[in-house]
Order: sequence, then C-alpha cells, then structure tokens
Amino acid sequence: MKQRTMVISLLAVFLAGTAVLMLLAAQDTDGRQDAVWVNEAVQSVQMNWDRLENHENQTDLDYVVIDMEGAVRFRTGTGLSESINEAVIHRDTILDIHKGGTVVGKIIIYNVSPQIFGEWKRTVLLVCLAAMASQCIICIGYMIYLQKRIVQPFQKLKGFAERIAGGSLDVPLEMDRKNLFGAFTESFDIMRSELKKARLAEAKANEDKKELVARLSHDIKTPVASIKAVSEVGAALTDDEKLWDNYAQIIRKADQINTLITNLFTAALEELQQLTVTPVDMGSRELKALLDNADYLHRAEIPDIPDCMIYADKLRLQQVFDNIFANSYKYAGTEIVLSASVQKGYLAVSVEDYGGGVSEEELPHIKKKFRRGTNTEGIEGAGLGLYISDYFMQEMKGELDVQNGKKGLKAAVRICLGGVV
Amino acid sequence: MKDIVLKTDNLSKSFSSGGVMQHVLKNISLKLYRGDFTVIMGASGAGKSTLLYALSGMDTPSIGKITFGDRVISEMNQDELAIFRRDHCGFVFQQIYLMDGMSVMDNVLSAGLLVHRNKKALAARAEELFASVGISKETQKKFPAQISGGEAQRAGIVRGLINSPEILFADEPTGALNSKTGLDVLDMLTKFNEQGQSMVMVTHDMRSARRGNRILYLKDGVILGECDLGKYVHGDRARHEKLSAFLEEMGW
Repeated sequence: MKQRTMVISLLAVFLAGTAVLMLLAAQDTDGRQDAVWVNEAVQSVQMNWDRLENHENQTDLDYVVIDMEGAVRFRTGTGLSESINEAVIHRDTILDIHKGGTVVGKIIIYNVSPQIFGEWKRTVLLVCLAAMASQCIICIGYMIYLQKRIVQPFQKLKGFAERIAGGSLDVPLEMDRKNLFGAFTESFDIMRSELKKARLAEAKANEDKKELVARLSHDIKTPVASIKAVSEVGAALTDDEKLWDNYAQIIRKADQINTLITNLFTAALEELQQLTVTPVDMGSRELKALLDNADYLHRAEIPDIPDCMIYADKLRLQQVFDNIFANSYKYAGTEIVLSASVQKGYLAVSVEDYGGGVSEEELPHIKKKFRRGTNTEGIEGAGLGLYISDYFMQEMKGELDVQNGKKGLKAAVRICLGGVV
Repeated sequence: MKDIVLKTDNLSKSFSSGGVMQHVLKNISLKLYRGDFTVIMGASGAGKSTLLYALSGMDTPSIGKITFGDRVISEMNQDELAIFRRDHCGFVFQQIYLMDGMSVMDNVLSAGLLVHRNKKALAARAEELFASVGISKETQKKFPAQISGGEAQRAGIVRGLINSPEILFADEPTGALNSKTGLDVLDMLTKFNEQGQSMVMVTHDMRSARRGNRILYLKDGVILGECDLGKYVHGDRARHEKLSAFLEEMGW
C-alpha cells in the first residue's frame, strides 16, 4: 500500500461519510400531523359511537377513544396515551367527539414524531460510527504495514551493522526484495562480503608476515649463534686481557640480539590480545536472540534456556556462536541439536551436529591458531575461528570445549553465571 | 532432614536507572527451612531488602524462580501475590505503619479480618499475642500517637503474626528503636521463633543478627557465605565469637 493509496482511501471514507450525513440532514423529517386522516378518524368514531366495539380503524393513525368519565372505549393498539394527562405529556392531539350537539368523548391521536426523530438519530450515529471505524482500520493497517516494511527490516539491518562492527563477517544478511530496503540491504551485504575478503587478505598478509618474521628470526639466529660460538672459542684461547674483554662484549651483544629476535617473534603472535572483551551481567533470556542470529539457516531448534543471570560480553558471545554455527554449516551441513543447562557455576550451551566429527588425532589441535583440519580443502577459512572463540570464552571466565559427540562434532559453550566471579 | 519452606533458583533482580542496568541480586539459589530464624546480613546496598521483598512476594524477580511451600510465587500476578502474602506472610518493618485513626487492637484486627471471618476467635488470638508481648488491655485501646516506639513495634509484631504466617519477614525491626526497647523486641522475636515460628530478618546490626540460627551474608547481590549458629542461648560467648569470626571472614 502506497502512501497515496492510504490518503485516497482515507479521503474516500471521509467524503462518503460526509455525503451520507448531508443527505440525511437534507431529508425532511416530517413530524406534522395529517389533518385528513385525523378528520377521517374523528368522523368514523362519531358515526360508530354507539357501536365502538365493532369499530375498525380505517386510517394510518394510532388513537384511543375515551368517554367523558375517562374510560377507554376504543384503542387501536397498546402503549398509547390513555388519559388526557398522559396525552398532554406526550404532546398528542386531543379532539372532542360530538354526538347530537353535545360532547360525548375525546379522541387522543398518538404523536409519532419522537419515533421518527429517534430513527433519524440512530441512522446518523451508525453512519458516523461506520466512517470512524473504517478510518481507524485503515490507519492501523497502514501502521502494521509500516512496521513490517520499514521498521522491522531497519532493525534487522541495525543488528547486522553491529555484528559487522564487532568483526563477525561470516553471517550473510537475509534479503527480502519485497521490503523498501531490498536494494539497500543487498549493497550492505556486498559490503560485508568485500569486507570479509579484505579481512581474509589481511589475515593472509599477516600470516605471510609472521612466517617471514619466523623465517628471518631463524635465519638471523643461526649466524648470531655462529658468531657467539666463534667468540667463545676465541675468548677461551686468548691470554690477552683486552682481547678477552672484546670477545666477552661480542658474546653479550649476540645474546642481546637473540633476546630481541625472540621478543619480536612472540609479539607477532600476541596481536590477538588487542581484541577487547568486556563481560557484564545480563539475563540468560538474551541468549535466545544470539542463537537465533547465529543460526541464520534455521537448522536448530532453540531449546528452553534456564532462567538465570550470566556474565558475558554480548557481542563476543555472538561471535562465538556465529563461529560455531558457521563451522557446522561449512563442514557438516546437517541439522543441529542445541541444549542448555545450568552446571556448577556455568550455563552450558551444547551445539552438536550430525557431520561425523573430526578424527581423534586432530581433536587436540582444533582450537589452535591457523590450524585447519584435513577435510577443509576447497572451503574458505583462516583457521582462526575456534582459536578466537576460545580466547573470547576465556576472557569471559567461561570455557569452550570441542569434542566428538555421538553423531558429530559437539561444541560446549560454558558461560559463567553472574555473581560467581 | 529439615522441612524446606521456601526455595529460590537463580533469583536475580535488576533495576534500570537512567538507562543503566543495576543488577542488585545475582543468581541466588537458596533454601529456607521451617522453624529457622534466618538472618540476612550485609552492608548497605548489598541487596538485603531487595532479597527480602522478593522472597516475601512483595516484589517479583527479574529472573529466576521462587517456590514458597508447593507454589511458584514468581509466576503469580500482582493480585494472586497480594492474596498469597496476606495468607502466608507476616511483616515487621523498621517504620511500623500503624493506621492513625484506629486503636492498636483495631489495627491488629483489621489485618486479621482480611483473612479470617470469625472476629471472636481473632480477638482471642490477638489477646493472646498481646499478652505474650506484654501489651496491656489499656494500651490496646490507645491510638498509635499515644504509645511509645517500642510499644508500637511490639504491636507491629502482633499484627505480623495475627494470621499465623508461614514465615515472618522482618526488615530492620530494631532500626528505629533505642538500645533497650530494641532488645525487648529482639527478645519477643526470639521467643516466637522458639515456639516454632519461621523467621527471616534483614539487619546490618550484629546484636540483632546474633539471634538467628542461620546467618547469610550478602555482598554485591551474591550470598558470599553462611554460618550455622545453632539455637540461641543468652550470653553464649562462643556463639558470639563464632559470628564475629564469620563476619570478619566475610569482610564485615
């Protein structure tokens, strides 16, 4: 529904309502008494005065005939005014009945204008109500439409941007061309995949750099060791004190170079420490959304999560689950079984697939850096996912345990409970 | 094996103030036993009162489950909770909140009439309770403005006990009283506990805490430790030293 449709339909309802109301207003609510019928009634009653029990009403009017004592002699129906007093209150028409020159009774002709007016009022009320109800329905419909087409996709996009910012690049954005953001989300997702490519290239470059550093340090260490060895031999052979001092100086400097190279090599490996993890207390109910986000192919059924307070960094925990699910999608590609329980100070979430797991030899190395299994050929990856996830869990005082389950690989994410540390 | 009267599983309570979440209670899993005089101690802001309010159904937890007897009170709505509190919980507060326009006796009876219809039996129970806290018939007829703070708190205890609650919850009951009247009130509470009344008392006063047989120490929303003191015996040095050592260990 476009904005124009919405405006047009609101206007149409408004105009229709106004038109009906104006028609009703223009309609003549005729409350006047029909004098011909009244005469007819009076005449017929006068003619039949002595036989009123056989009298028949020939008119459209409702009336009551009473005699001079006030006794009802004839009535056309029930619910009418049956005394002068009631008639006056109801604004009925009261006429005399003459017989032989004297007044023998009264005819009270029922006033119907209140009913006519009441009906008219009801019609107007109904029209107004119908118009308001349809406007209300159109507005609500439009709001639901806005929520579905704009707010919801926008919120999804927001969560996606947050995850990208947190460095989680493996989860694609679901695209729905029907919503207004269709093209926008697509370019967003292209941005993600480009970013991921760049990230991978960067990781590759980093790895190359580290290899270079490792190789260089080895290359440098060898000649330095030779220099040191030769100097030690020289120092042992010489008697000249000055020369011995020089050799000692060379040995000290060679040791210094060795230390510097070792430091350089370890520093390259410790880069990861720059990732910040700031766990806080939060409700375990938030886990559901994290698992929902991570399982974007909907291969798992989210279990009931025990209600408790957990100590975690939401963004990093999302990355941990993103990694585990992405691994399962890449290597197993099966259904995933999730379960959650509270155990000894932890909320344990287990994620198990049916992919057959990994060989027992590879299992101890699965969380190591740049380590990729034998089944990973042709599948993109840097071998960092579980390493980083493990690091994150440790920083949150939790644990990540990867083992072979009954059917496939089983990752147990143990999240520390709030108040335990 | 003692009878469990109240149990919590991962009870947590958070408040949002100015957009910042404050986690006042964190994963408290606790069992309270029938006939115990449980004391909750801790510094100001440790979450003592919040815990008491959650346990007694005056407030609902943000997370977790509370089972009172065989009913899960954390799943009740406000109306159900109000009825539950009325029938099963008694309260004694630091501020006594007696109603000014009613006599002391009527204050007590009005609390009782919410639960019981039989006014005669209620009056008899009130008389009995008043006698055991040492409030004379004369004082019962007075209005709250005419009695002392100590008398008011004793009347508060009678009101808390009129419906024979499962647990009597006391929030700093001696906080507003002087040393002597405070001791009297503690003596009353100790006596009722000896008669089998389960009690939970929040305090940051060591003299009050000594009356309990089980001390829980709360810090930053977590039960840091607990101490089993056993039955209260007046003037027991060893008991006092045990409590002191426990509190020292807790960093009191």
